[in-house]
Amino acid sequence: MRVISFAQPGFMLAGAVIVTYLSAEVGFWAAAVLSVLAVSLLALGVERVAIRPMVGRPVFAIAIITLGLDVVIRVVANGFIGLDVRQVGDPWKLDTVSVLGVEVQQRYLAMFAAALLMVAALFLFFRYTRFGLAMRAASFDQEAALAQGVSVSGVFAVSWAMAGGLAAVAGIMFGAGTSIDQNIWIIALKALPAIILGGLDSLAGAVAGGLAIGLFESLVSSYQSDHLPWLGENFATVSPYVLMLAVLLLRPYGLFGTREVERV
Amino acid sequence: MKKHLAALAACVLVLSGCGRGDESEATAPGVTDEACPEAVNKDNGCIYLGVISDLTTGPFKALAVSITDAQKAFWKRVNDNGGIGGYDVDVTKYIRDNHYSPETHNQVYQEIKGKVLALAQSLGSPTTAAVIEDMKTNKVLATPASWTSSWNFEDVILESGAPYCIESMNAVDYAVEAIKPKSVMAVYVPGDYGEDAAEGAKVAAEAHGLSFTGVESPPGQENQGGAIDAIVKAKPDLVILTAGPTDAATVVGQAAARGYKGRFIGTGPTWNPGLIASPAADALKALYWQSAPWLPWQTDTPGHKAMRETLSGVTPNDGYTAGWVWSYPLKAALEKAASNGELTRDGLFKAVKQLTSVDYEGMLENAGNYAGDPNSAVVRSSVIAQPDESAPTKVKVIKEPFVGPTAQDYTLSKPCF
Repeated sequence: MRVISFAQPGFMLAGAVIVTYLSAEVGFWAAAVLSVLAVSLLALGVERVAIRPMVGRPVFAIAIITLGLDVVIRVVANGFIGLDVRQVGDPWKLDTVSVLGVEVQQRYLAMFAAALLMVAALFLFFRYTRFGLAMRAASFDQEAALAQGVSVSGVFAVSWAMAGGLAAVAGIMFGAGTSIDQNIWIIALKALPAIILGGLDSLAGAVAGGLAIGLFESLVSSYQSDHLPWLGENFATVSPYVLMLAVLLLRPYGLFGTREVERV
Repeated sequence: MKKHLAALAACVLVLSGCGRGDESEATAPGVTDEACPEAVNKDNGCIYLGVISDLTTGPFKALAVSITDAQKAFWKRVNDNGGIGGYDVDVTKYIRDNHYSPETHNQVYQEIKGKVLALAQSLGSPTTAAVIEDMKTNKVLATPASWTSSWNFEDVILESGAPYCIESMNAVDYAVEAIKPKSVMAVYVPGDYGEDAAEGAKVAAEAHGLSFTGVESPPGQENQGGAIDAIVKAKPDLVILTAGPTDAATVVGQAAARGYKGRFIGTGPTWNPGLIASPAADALKALYWQSAPWLPWQTDTPGHKAMRETLSGVTPNDGYTAGWVWSYPLKAALEKAASNGELTRDGLFKAVKQLTSVDYEGMLENAGNYAGDPNSAVVRSSVIAQPDESAPTKVKVIKEPFVGPTAQDYTLSKPCF
């Protein structure tokens, strides 16, 4: 569909909230798996009810629908958060481990490992499975894919389910070592500069973009007040977007995105 | 034809005149002779109060819902006790969600302002600021849901408790007595909440001859890295913290994980009972105290007892305590206006100016002087609490209401920031 889904923050929050309810009962790992499955099913349902009828409609309209979906999902998830902040019950908490003489929080290593695992799984899926190939084909040209027997509607459904599951993983990992309240969805907004920086149609670009944005923001947060105080306080908060704009000026298709060629 | 038109116009004028006559017999906006929709006392008239709060998607939803529920319970108890001057009070018909957006706040305010006598709650400073000029023009009184010192300078706002800046002065004063710090850092969220508190910490630090640093930190757990770096680098003896609960826990937990061993005192809104089970719980228990404008849920006063009885069944949370305490001044003002025989906006405004004290049923002492100037009327007492798993709201008081020397001597001649 070539639509950016703005419902991802809602799915992320939902994934984290589900784990806060289940982890005390079945443990963190089982809760995480159940949460990912539940949010995938939720995303699948959302696709069938709200997105499928919009196939063929303007991309802008579908993007706006995803914005509305995000609000609806967050309001429902907020209702389950209640009045007290909640915990995902992760095993790492704020414990640290020494890596080459540097004290690193275990949860950060877990997040990094989870990201690597997800990227590897997605890479293998898109590269070596028939359905992954079908998804790439449908993404490239829906009509041609359809003519070759690809179930484009199936591709849409699975892509939404995968997106929901991945958002749930993000929410769960964000909750590690912290607390869940109704505001955690805001961090999902930082995915936007990451994927635009990397290139919208590039998996490797999304990874590189995410790392670049995170590293840049951390460096600015740590050193800007000492070396560039004239930029004002809290410049780190806007730094991902500044970097995104700077890269877009030089490479409008992102660092690893496909250069659009238009016949004029 | 002209005669017919003239006759028609005359009829319309007569009829519309009758209409206005009927309306003028009604007392005031938000006051009706008819009973409230769910009246406890069917023979009473009805006073409608509006509630504009952050009930679904905004950042203060958790606090706002408990405040609103407490206010519903408070006014139900008023009605159960016979109402005010022959009227029940309704705070349920005109509840609106502002999503913590000034535009939405203004929109819903305009929607309900002609139907309510006053606002039982107007949540948020930027949101309330969007309508305050209209409130002044139309004498629409409101109970706030924050403690910024600028409320002490607004005639239409019925504030309760010490403002953030006074609370932070007391926090520094208490720390000076308890841990004798040499350096103070204020880590504060931008805006009236954080900046008001930071100014109070600065005033108190200067009064005690302590070094002071202010570090602004935007909201969001992921945005606390700069503040944590600053704390770990500077190692101040005392950090006065103003943030939301999850952000505060992130700062305390992460700073402790990186070796910081100083003392945090967070303003009232930095605490949430759920933090006692958070990954930062050990750090909070070791390094964190909470300052607050009044005593928590479990305190033994007639007001606290009535609140617990009326709200029986809820999970204790000091958002309820805040909503309950904030409601007393409006009740006192309505009673005064009713006894003056002027249950109108003008009458209510006049009644507020006649209040030299409010009976908070022991929940807050020496408070409720709306007749005096801000400096003489401001409440200067605070309490200090520490995390405690056995307490209902997971904090227990370690310093009963007190006024520190800095707060005592401070002249509140303008808002603190």
